[in-house]
Amino acid sequence: MPWDYRSSKDFKDFYEERRLHRRITFIFVLLAGLFLSYLSNLWYLQVVNGENYRRLADNNRLRQVVLNPLRGTILDRAGRPIVRNRLSFNVLLDREKVIDKEGIIRTLSRVLNLPEGTIRDRIARYKNRPVFEPVIVKEDVDLSEAAYLESRRLELPEISVAVEPKRSYEQGELAAHALGYVGEISESQLSKPRYAGFQLGDVVGKAGLESYYDGDLTGQKGWKQMIVNSLGREIRELPAGRRPVSGNSLRLTIDLDLQRELEEGFADKGGSAVFLDPDSGEILALVSRPAFDPNIFARRFSASEWGSLMNSAAHPLQNRAIQSKFAPGSVFKIVLAVAALESGKAGPGRTDSCPGYAYIYGRRFLCHQEGGHGTIAMVEAIKKSCNVYFYHLGRDLGIGLISQWAHNLGFGSRTGVDLLHEEAGTVPDEEWKRRTRKEPWYPGETISVSIGQGALEVTPIQMASFAAAIGNGGVFYRPFLLKSREVRDGVEEAERVGEVVRRIHLKPSTLQVVKQAMWEVVNQGGTGTRAMIPGKDVCGKTGTAQVVKASAGVKSEKLAESIRDNAWFVGFAPRDKPRIAFAVFVERGGHGGEAAAPIAQRVMMKFFEKQEHREEPAQIARTSQHP
Amino acid sequence: MLERRSIHNIDWLLAFSVLAIAAIGSGMVYSATVGGPLSGLAGKQAVYLLIGLLALVLAVSIDYHTLSELSPVFYGVSVVLLIYLLFFGRAIANTRGWLELGPVNFQPAEMAKVTTLLALSSFMSRRRTAELGFANMASILAIVGLPVLLIARQPDLGTALTFLPLIAVAAFLGGIRVRTISILVLIPILALPLLWNHYLQDYQKVRVLTFLDPARDPKGAGYQVLQSKIAVGSGGLVGKGFLEGTQGQLNFLPAQHTDFIFALLAEERGFLGSMIVLSLYFVVIYRCIAIARSARDRLGVFLAMGMVALFACQVLINIGVVVGLMPTTGVPLPLMSYGGSSLISSLAGMGLVLNVWMRRLVN
Repeated sequence: MPWDYRSSKDFKDFYEERRLHRRITFIFVLLAGLFLSYLSNLWYLQVVNGENYRRLADNNRLRQVVLNPLRGTILDRAGRPIVRNRLSFNVLLDREKVIDKEGIIRTLSRVLNLPEGTIRDRIARYKNRPVFEPVIVKEDVDLSEAAYLESRRLELPEISVAVEPKRSYEQGELAAHALGYVGEISESQLSKPRYAGFQLGDVVGKAGLESYYDGDLTGQKGWKQMIVNSLGREIRELPAGRRPVSGNSLRLTIDLDLQRELEEGFADKGGSAVFLDPDSGEILALVSRPAFDPNIFARRFSASEWGSLMNSAAHPLQNRAIQSKFAPGSVFKIVLAVAALESGKAGPGRTDSCPGYAYIYGRRFLCHQEGGHGTIAMVEAIKKSCNVYFYHLGRDLGIGLISQWAHNLGFGSRTGVDLLHEEAGTVPDEEWKRRTRKEPWYPGETISVSIGQGALEVTPIQMASFAAAIGNGGVFYRPFLLKSREVRDGVEEAERVGEVVRRIHLKPSTLQVVKQAMWEVVNQGGTGTRAMIPGKDVCGKTGTAQVVKASAGVKSEKLAESIRDNAWFVGFAPRDKPRIAFAVFVERGGHGGEAAAPIAQRVMMKFFEKQEHREEPAQIARTSQHP
Repeated sequence: MLERRSIHNIDWLLAFSVLAIAAIGSGMVYSATVGGPLSGLAGKQAVYLLIGLLALVLAVSIDYHTLSELSPVFYGVSVVLLIYLLFFGRAIANTRGWLELGPVNFQPAEMAKVTTLLALSSFMSRRRTAELGFANMASILAIVGLPVLLIARQPDLGTALTFLPLIAVAAFLGGIRVRTISILVLIPILALPLLWNHYLQDYQKVRVLTFLDPARDPKGAGYQVLQSKIAVGSGGLVGKGFLEGTQGQLNFLPAQHTDFIFALLAEERGFLGSMIVLSLYFVVIYRCIAIARSARDRLGVFLAMGMVALFACQVLINIGVVVGLMPTTGVPLPLMSYGGSSLISSLAGMGLVLNVWMRRLVN
């Protein structure tokens, strides 16, 4: 390199030239050092730490997208669909493609029949979302609207129709409480171990079978890996991933025909009912009224709809069949009869004389029949539902024996049905009174309990289970709704058989008396005449009960026949080899024989009609399981 | 003007390195913008490269002594344009640094770099004293300070700061005493707390704090630096391949065709690619310094060393930001970042240095 500044004419001072030379060298060395340090820094970043940064870059660009499985369907016992997944259509607006915003809002308003303001609001809600994320202008549009928009894709490129599976309860309100509903998972559910792997926004069962068998219905999530850009937009899919596995279908014990008959029988009345197969515990029909339409939970429904359901005085979301607790009323006289006969405290021949009232422990207790029933024996006392007969019988038995037999016959404990939040009810006795009320048992309370009032609380499903046990000779099955489930695609597990929870020993003579009495209630001009089906030997017992208040005093029976009372009708048929057992409860139904018995009759007629037309295969298999 | 003999006296190594960097830069601009809304920029950058080469040839052709004579005119025009901008400048990204010339915009600040360099060198070559006196220092500060203040008013602090190395190199080579240097270094260090508490804007403080700890705010101010480091680091030894950089192609990398173009290069070409480009930059600086040493007069020395100061500082600041060694400043990478004004002024400046080399021998 030429370096001959000494020959330059401009530089006079040798010293100054040397200084300049030194300082240029200093700059060169300084810059060389800086470049070297930069190079070593790049080495450190790219080669030494390259793997770490590559992982960070992958975290940036790869997104795992969860693929939600379809929920399993729910079928009735004959395989008819009750709950399915339906394709719903959402209208989406791609904001990136919008050129004439006002024009498109006008078009959407016209086609979707929505006010322009609503559409504007929905677009505004996405203001802070990435622009490629489409606006859901309207959810769940009609097929015709979807088809209209789809056929105009060329003219309206900014509008698209997306398909989304939605839970569809094909029968609307039918069996709503047994089925339950689905909804987005709640914070409290998320923290439970059962929901490990779930995220906010996931749909899970919230009530009924949807909740109880959520694990079966949910299926397994799949995933795919997407490459995303810095805005989160998905660019393309990577081959890795797993397809989601659809949930398993459930086949229920419910018979759609009986269920429909039962719902129609209730018409606009409130209440609940359970129909069982007494030889297995299969629930053939279960109703709770007023009901709700589970479909509204499948939509992102409005706050007002939610509020009206939650705050309604009629509590439509409550499953009355397993949750409402009422006094059993005169139905409980069967329990007293069984207790008396089994304990030997009284025989069927015990007679009493009913003047229409009785003085016990210095207090006057009324019979519902003014003027009384006269001299009356046990079977007739049950048939005519004579209070005085059972006041005296109850007094003689004592609360201990009554309570013991009430427990034996399934009251005071949950039946174990496959639904959540079942109530156990209450069977009062001296110890219970001391424990809960801190008071001694008053003898007068025994008299109230003897006719099924007082602090007694039972649920409709307990009543049905009780009726079934009387019918089948003392076997308590766990009532159940799930007949069988799909274990993997298209393969069903073996049908469930009845699970015996408890077997109580009843003397044939006891059964004979009780069944005879219950048969006479329906067939010999008793209180349940309106449930009679010729040739089917329906057995039943009516009851009336007021809603149990915190402390039901001895005066409750004075109101017993008031028109605002709740009506029970409990029974089974046919008498000798029962095929169906039931409890029907009609709120504000007046007398059980008037309001509840016709509903039971209607369902049983349908049941026997179906049996005659087509002997179900299950029917044959069941005989061998009979205890 | 351009004698035949001069062709043989082109510094080919310098010319080649400059062109190589500019060509690689155009390629990276293409990679940064392909398929996106800015996809036409690579073509425009190629056109700017041609215009820049014309400017380079022009700067080589006219004897640098003649250019020095004309420097007051060039300098004056630049200053007038900068003043004009303060009133009528087109604002892009909140900075009134753009002059509209029909279909194209250009930044007079970039032009001012070359004209200030020329004016400063002209001044330094005319003074006769061996020591750098107070009057000389004041002149240096005035010549560089005027455009710096005007640019800082736009406000474009980053570009204004890139002029300051000119003052340093002029004072240093002009003979400032080591004792004075020590004092000049000490004062800012002592004044730092005062500056921090009273003069820095909040966003500027955030930038500095974020620089010191990028994880402080990974989605806000630290985002750019973090994404840039991820891009550089994930390139590894050989890179992910041209157009295959995920940080760049998926737009995680900010300003990837301008201030962060080196990160894109490092991601797609790896350590080898960034080493080659860094080496090319060093060759350019090395040749400029060599030319300064062999210059036939002080004008040549100051032109070449002034260019070294401008060029090296921008390169070091830009790459320093990209690899997280410095706070974000918004300084483009000379010859590589997209932008006509910067490219053309860099090439014109290199033309001046080549000019010094070509005319190093006295006839």
